[in-house]
Amino acid sequence: MGTPAVEIEELSRVFEPRKKPPVVALDDVSLAIPPGEIHGLLGPNGAGKTTLVKILSTVLLPTSGRARVLGHDVVDETKAVRPLLGIVFGGERGLYWRLTGRQNLAYWGALYKLSARETKARTQQLIERVGLAERADERVETYSRGMKQRLHLARGLVGDATVLFLDEPTTGMDPLAAREFRTLIAELRDEGRTILLATHDMVEAETVCDRVTLIDRGKVVATESPRTLGQVISRFQRIDVEGVDAAVLGEIRALTGVSGVTEADGGARIEVDEEGATRVVLGRLVDAGATSVKTSLPSLEEVYVQLIDDRGLEL
Amino acid sequence: MTALATTVNVMHHAFRAGLADYRAIFTWKSWLAGWMVRVIAQVAFFALLGERIGDDQKTFYLLVGNSILVAALTGVFSLNMTTAERWAGTLPLLVASPSSPIIVFSARGSYLAVDGALSALAALFIAGPMFGMDLPWPRVVAVVPLTALVALASYCFGTFLAGIVFRFRSINSLVVLTTHVSLMAACGVNVPLSYYPDALEWFSRVLPVTNGLLAIRGVLDGADPATILGDAALEAVVAVGWMTLALASFNQLASRGRRDGSLDYGA
Repeated sequence: MGTPAVEIEELSRVFEPRKKPPVVALDDVSLAIPPGEIHGLLGPNGAGKTTLVKILSTVLLPTSGRARVLGHDVVDETKAVRPLLGIVFGGERGLYWRLTGRQNLAYWGALYKLSARETKARTQQLIERVGLAERADERVETYSRGMKQRLHLARGLVGDATVLFLDEPTTGMDPLAAREFRTLIAELRDEGRTILLATHDMVEAETVCDRVTLIDRGKVVATESPRTLGQVISRFQRIDVEGVDAAVLGEIRALTGVSGVTEADGGARIEVDEEGATRVVLGRLVDAGATSVKTSLPSLEEVYVQLIDDRGLEL
Repeated sequence: MTALATTVNVMHHAFRAGLADYRAIFTWKSWLAGWMVRVIAQVAFFALLGERIGDDQKTFYLLVGNSILVAALTGVFSLNMTTAERWAGTLPLLVASPSSPIIVFSARGSYLAVDGALSALAALFIAGPMFGMDLPWPRVVAVVPLTALVALASYCFGTFLAGIVFRFRSINSLVVLTTHVSLMAACGVNVPLSYYPDALEWFSRVLPVTNGLLAIRGVLDGADPATILGDAALEAVVAVGWMTLALASFNQLASRGRRDGSLDYGA
């Protein structure tokens, strides 16, 4: 394996607010992200996602441990790291509202040491790419939230970043705009860029990420592909069934490994929590003449809830 | 691109960003009808005080001092720069960029120095004749670069304060007001430096305005060129000194921000 795009070793960060007990924001986090991967960083608010992104972005020092971007240490080699990075975060901030979209990009182009000619060409290219051509010469304060987010992304790309850190980039976007944004992110991966996407949006992580790391209270809970994570708790399968009577459902409710049966709209959802229970339940439903049976794996959201809420689950 | 060209390019864009902020506050019409009227009224107020309590000499002393003070007051508004960056959430992005944020901050509010110099000169050249003050031609032309120097030195001082008060946003306005009053009181604007105790006179010499104002008074009073140039040189040294300290304060700001996590971003 070549040099990882992002390599984190036993990284910790403790904040020590005045007159308050220390807060452990990151606790011994280790992670390696290969080049060209979209890696999701999932966790509830306060889990440590933003702290990790800040350290990788060189705007925060770790208390201990190391982090490298394309082989360069984010603490000691900031001059080498910074030109490689693009940082995009969600929300309204991070842009100069009284400048136009084009002027914003030109400003950041200058900060990324592009010549005037390069800046002009890159700015136009990015404006078209993120779909802001028609409004590029209007002040950012007149933009919608989705437009600001697209401009954020363009700003993050103005230096032709190899590694992109996206922190809650679709916060507050409407579903359509968020979907378009995710399509853009996937395109960036296809160009060979590495993307670390900090989010608590399960759908977003499931849709675009090659792998996700679940983080909670500063610790890594799991790092897997979204699908693998789903399979890890496949014993928590769900069976949706139609055309069986209440007596049969009563029998199934009594089976070992069945954790719940919920009846609704002429059908029922049966939940199992033990390996092998699904096969037994399906056999009983077929014998009972069920007209429709459907099994499904848990969504990433359900995995997330299980892993974050149920620390006893071994991976 | 050479390092110098890169730096100039960043400064150009930073200046433009600052100017865009200013244009959101003032149009040409509101600048003339609002800001300039206020400035001339302020200068006239002090000149009228001079008329009431003394003679032409006192009137002109107060008129010149308070006109030039406008350059300083405007330049010191650069103190609000970091607040603007903080509000915009751009500071950590500046720190994380390949260019130094110090370059940005050295230029971001420099429009204020231009505005300050223009306002002060307009005040002097409008209020002066209104109160019968003789502006000796062509010597008075030298007042233009000297006023620009005062504005620049004040901008450098304000930029230094911006780096200092970054961590204490709640007292930002208090610092602006205190600085304005201090410059007015300590820099020979309303009373000659000789009125002050020696220690305060020395202190006022390291503040912006004091030396530049002495040079300007020298030009208007027909002092010898060596004295004028000496005071002007001191004002330039003060400007360089405060800008050096400003750059150090921003360096410190970024370093400390990395250590304690005070470089916020996000919604």
